[in-house]
Amino acid sequence: MGEIKALQLFHGPNHPGMHGNFSVHIKVDGDIVVEAEANPGMLHRGFEKLMERRNWMQNIALILRVCVVEPDINEAAYSMAVETIEGMDVPERAQWIRVMILEMARIANHLMSLGGIGGPTGLYTGPNWALVDRDLILDIFEKITGARVYHMYIVPGGVRQDVTDEILKDLEKVLDDIEKRLPEYRELILEHPIIQKRTKNIAVLTRDQALSWGVTGIALRATGVDYDVRKYDPYLVYDKVEFDVPTVDFSDAYNRLWLKYQEIYQSIRIIRQVIEKMPSGKVREKLPGNALKWRVKKGDAYVKLESARGEFGYYMVSDGGTKPYRVFVRGASYPQGLLGIEKGLPGTRLEDVAIWLDTMGVCAPEIDR
Amino acid sequence: MVNMIILAVVFVIGAFIFQVTLSGFSRKVVARIQKRRGPTVFQNFYDIGKLLFKESSISHGFIFDFGIWMALGSTIATLLFMPVGGWALMPKYANIIVIIYLLAVGSLGMAMSAVGSGNPLASIGVSRALTQMFAYELPFVVIAVLIIYLAKSSNILKIIEYQTQNGWNLFSMPIGALVAYISLMGMLGKKPFDTPIAPAEIASGPLVEYSGKYLGFLMIQHEFATFIEVGLFVHLFMGSTSIIGFLIKYIIVYISAVMISSVMARLKIDEVVKFYWRWPLGLAILQAIITLGVRF
Repeated sequence: MGEIKALQLFHGPNHPGMHGNFSVHIKVDGDIVVEAEANPGMLHRGFEKLMERRNWMQNIALILRVCVVEPDINEAAYSMAVETIEGMDVPERAQWIRVMILEMARIANHLMSLGGIGGPTGLYTGPNWALVDRDLILDIFEKITGARVYHMYIVPGGVRQDVTDEILKDLEKVLDDIEKRLPEYRELILEHPIIQKRTKNIAVLTRDQALSWGVTGIALRATGVDYDVRKYDPYLVYDKVEFDVPTVDFSDAYNRLWLKYQEIYQSIRIIRQVIEKMPSGKVREKLPGNALKWRVKKGDAYVKLESARGEFGYYMVSDGGTKPYRVFVRGASYPQGLLGIEKGLPGTRLEDVAIWLDTMGVCAPEIDR
Repeated sequence: MVNMIILAVVFVIGAFIFQVTLSGFSRKVVARIQKRRGPTVFQNFYDIGKLLFKESSISHGFIFDFGIWMALGSTIATLLFMPVGGWALMPKYANIIVIIYLLAVGSLGMAMSAVGSGNPLASIGVSRALTQMFAYELPFVVIAVLIIYLAKSSNILKIIEYQTQNGWNLFSMPIGALVAYISLMGMLGKKPFDTPIAPAEIASGPLVEYSGKYLGFLMIQHEFATFIEVGLFVHLFMGSTSIIGFLIKYIIVYISAVMISSVMARLKIDEVVKFYWRWPLGLAILQAIITLGVRF
């Protein structure tokens, strides 16, 4: 009888506790997870390989798909890597607009994952409220770029089109709205006694684990390490805006949520400064000749950005042709999504699996690439 | 006899229409809380209708099929013992003990059927459901026994009569009403006590293997069970003899439970048991001591 103790469960891909096309095979003994095996590959489109067969400009339409909830970070990293290889200058205004776009995307992402804790814990009012506020940001995205989710807005050389003053006014209004409603999220989610019970001391990540696995972003900052690419290696104009990097000393699910909540405030602060300080001027450097026959100089570059889930990087090699020679994407959720699941989940309970996935910000396509 | 059968059919259909409409309305209420529009009030009729008209259901053996009929049949049988206001189909047998026992048969039928499906998620869900039943029934039964003692009868009609003479039990034993209300949330599977069907953990637990007609039957069973459980609470604590009064109180109790549920998160199963046996059970005993102390 003792042998039939472990029960194998398929947590995903067709499972309400799983977001994205990803699955975790778990063996449970009672309610305790004995073994967890990440099973990626369901969204494998071979992004890195596909990029080698497309023009430098065509790739802009492809790379967004690497992470659905925060696509803009891909555009920015790709464009900046191309610009670094080519040695291109980006107009000042375009850099400010890029910061604005990235921070808007960060707010949208954090709102989704802050409300998203309602999925695994059953507080469905949370995600619904968060999606309403995220939609306001998407409205602004639509006004700026013409698209709601996949914007294809940040391109090598700048951004596709300028932002009008009316849109900036709308954006300020939306930020005021969201800032006014943030305390409601705090009451509903962060101060909810049952959410606290479900997330405190749950899905704990130690500092040693985080550093040795290569976990970055919120999960690392929750262990007390204030590593934020925006501060350590400022890109674009992040050195010209003021913001804090909130940290806490204990990385459990609750503290990670708390940091996300705090970072929304910081992002709002950054966008306000951007709107205030943004210089006028042109937003896009003209490419030499036909964009589809554009040859980027020979060379390679690694560009890293701070995404909502951690350090996000593109390593690109160009052999001087019309297509990239090799592209490598460092998905921000790769360490916690694969290694984290296999090493971190055993010993936790079945109920906490979805909480781990949610608060670590596992983005399935980033793992598959 | 024929008269009674007709009455029974009318009663069952009436209860069904009332509860399903109310469930639809409650979805509207939840949608408003969640800043959504929500489906129409008749959405649950459409859902059940669609499921019942599906061609076939996959079977996982005799126990799987039989359990569903056992659940639906015994729940409808329980419903026939339920009074509405001061009216009951079988006034002599409108007894709390009968209702509590028969209702458990329905739950057991569903548990049997779910385990019969052989899906591990369903087994986990069933074990959770039975554990939770164990947790909420104890405090509820303590209060029910107290009410039976006060009314000197376990007949619900007598209990209603006792309340028309002495005022609602809700006012004479508020702590007991609170305990029964919390137990009711557990019976209905409303959050924070929806652990047995936790979608994010065990993919709806017992319901995971059902589709088509069987899922439709289980939805109907759930609606009837809801009618019985909420109705029982209304009778025990806000008893009155008019049918309209009963329905109004019923709507208030049910919608309030739905509203509380919509801003609650899910507890883990061990926390559910700990919670029920710490707070509601403690409060139920406190209520018993107070009530009996006042009487003697």
